[in-house]
Amino acid sequence: MITVKNLKRYYGTGETAVKALRGVSFEIKKGEFVAIMGASGSGKTTLLRILALLDDATDGEYTIRGLQVSSLPEAERSYYRLTQVGYVFQDYALINEMSAAENVYILSMMEGKSRKESYKTALEALDKVGLKEKHNRIPDELSGGEKQRVAIARAIAKKPDILFADEPCANLDTRNSKQVLDVFKELNEKYGQTIIMVTHEPWHTEYVDRVITLEDGSLVSDEQKRR
Amino acid sequence: MIDDIRVGALIAYCSIKRGNKKTLMFIVFVLSLIFMNLVFLPSMIGGMTVLFTGMMQDYPYGDIVIEPSGDNTYINNADNVLQKVRAVEGVRAATKRLDVGASIEHKQKVVGVSITGLLPTEEYEVSRYPYIISEGDFIGELSRDEIIIGAMIAGTGFGSEIYDNLGEVRPGSLVDVTYSNGVKRTYKVKGIMEGTFELVDLNAIVHYKEIEEVYGLEGSKATSVVVRVDKQGSEDQVQDKIREAGVNEQIFTWADKSETLIKQAMQSMGAINIMSKFVSLIVGAALVLIIIYINVLNRKKEIGILKAVGITPGSIVLSYAFLSMFYVSLGIFAGLVLYFSLMFYFQANPVVFYETMEIRPQIDPVLLIESIVTMLTLSVIAGILPAWSVSKESILKAIWSR
Ligand SMILES: Nc1ncnc2c1ncn2[C@@H]1O[C@H](COP(=O)(O)OP(=O)(O)O)[C@@H](O)[C@H]1O
Ligand SMILES: [Mg+2]
Repeated sequence: MITVKNLKRYYGTGETAVKALRGVSFEIKKGEFVAIMGASGSGKTTLLRILALLDDATDGEYTIRGLQVSSLPEAERSYYRLTQVGYVFQDYALINEMSAAENVYILSMMEGKSRKESYKTALEALDKVGLKEKHNRIPDELSGGEKQRVAIARAIAKKPDILFADEPCANLDTRNSKQVLDVFKELNEKYGQTIIMVTHEPWHTEYVDRVITLEDGSLVSDEQKRR
Repeated sequence: MIDDIRVGALIAYCSIKRGNKKTLMFIVFVLSLIFMNLVFLPSMIGGMTVLFTGMMQDYPYGDIVIEPSGDNTYINNADNVLQKVRAVEGVRAATKRLDVGASIEHKQKVVGVSITGLLPTEEYEVSRYPYIISEGDFIGELSRDEIIIGAMIAGTGFGSEIYDNLGEVRPGSLVDVTYSNGVKRTYKVKGIMEGTFELVDLNAIVHYKEIEEVYGLEGSKATSVVVRVDKQGSEDQVQDKIREAGVNEQIFTWADKSETLIKQAMQSMGAINIMSKFVSLIVGAALVLIIIYINVLNRKKEIGILKAVGITPGSIVLSYAFLSMFYVSLGIFAGLVLYFSLMFYFQANPVVFYETMEIRPQIDPVLLIESIVTMLTLSVIAGILPAWSVSKESILKAIWSR
């Protein structure tokens, strides 16, 4: 589904350039739940942003379902981002003035769905993360884990090809982290959702199928867990 | 586009509904002051204009004034004109006057004045001259060697320190008058008139027959015939009727007259007015812009998130346009409440100038609508500009940099 070949990302140019990715290659199949591990500064976030089309690679190839997305014009990339890519941020990135439902619902409205339809979609997505009951709460009235699950609901409401998550549990305690990881696992197992998650907690790998490890911008191990 | 509007409205709605109410109140308060600033001074100046036009009616011009046609100095046979005018329906009173130039001397002090010759008994119906005698009495039908002097030239009234005056002229004092044709007369001062208005208090009044005699006029000449109407507002119709009645002199309503005169008198006032309006607008625009800009900067991250999850920049920009329109609408509403309260206060407790001139601010609907439209237009621009500049930034910069 995703193919990455010799992906490079340099911040800055010349002598002082930071080589965040030094040529990374791998493939990810549909329905996989992949963890990207590595020490802080190893290039995990950089890689994920490029995969989620939030940033551009300096060099290398990136294709999704055979489509060379790295060379698409910005307008098409942005449309692809809206309709096919779900991204879960470390700090939830919810709109504080919107209720859980509204945070999810606004995207369906953006896609041109009617109010009623948008609401239905939002409730469905919230149901998938186990928060249907709390759809009227604003982020301030939710726990960290619940906020992150709303963010996941927002990311999956549009039924994206791939769901990306950058250290989604970094701000959560173990109990909340487990809730979030359970949601990911269920999405993956029940709905076949492809998920690529960045993490640095070893115990998170219990939930995933495969672990890709980066070190100093290079891929150092690619380990299949089960299946 | 429709989706942009729907989503923009949703964002704006949520941020109003759940945003900080104290901030909202403060913004609305500041905006209401900006609005007040835009409309208050013009209303006061409007009040002054009304006051001055009232003076024009009460003293030199009445409701309608008839003046000599063409190059003529005088209306010939003013009695004939008066007869026609008095027969016109809607005319309450009319009289003839003779205005001439002269100088008045008292104890070596000389001032130039305009002297009005009038028929004292008829003036009670036409003007307020008989009612503004601050010392002494108004002249009567038999007053031929008597004169009424304006308070500013007498040296007693308010404002006399600004103008040349005769020192301490009192009722009973004798003054020497030299008319523009060189004829000299001595008069006893019968009274001092004080209208707290230059056009009155810098003048003098004698009997109509005096001027007729001094200038050797015959056949009821007049420099003006002054007309008062029964009903305020009917001046234009009465003016037409007088013309139809066969009066061939120039006929002006007080509005015609004051237009030029007030324009001159108000020119400096008008300049202040325009300047203050301009400054208010600039300050208002800057404030609205700053308020929205701070708001946008505070939400820079939110804008980045919205973009990252796929909300179009168009909806984001629109949401800020809606938001600032909402702020400004509330501000205008609060400003209007404030404005009308102040208006009612000042209508009941007018500002007093020159001790007797009461200025009641005038409410001008055109000005109000103008100001409302200006503020709303401004708010859209002020909302769109900063949001547009932020929404153009790259997502990564908006979310992850500060
Ligand atoms: N915007 C940037 N400008 C310059 N250097 C950056 C930027 N973002 C990340 N880096 C550098 O790139 C390297 C990889 O960063 P990152 O992908 O954030 O690592 P991780 O997410 O694994 O901690 C680090 O050395 C970091 O300092
Ligand atoms: Mg990181």
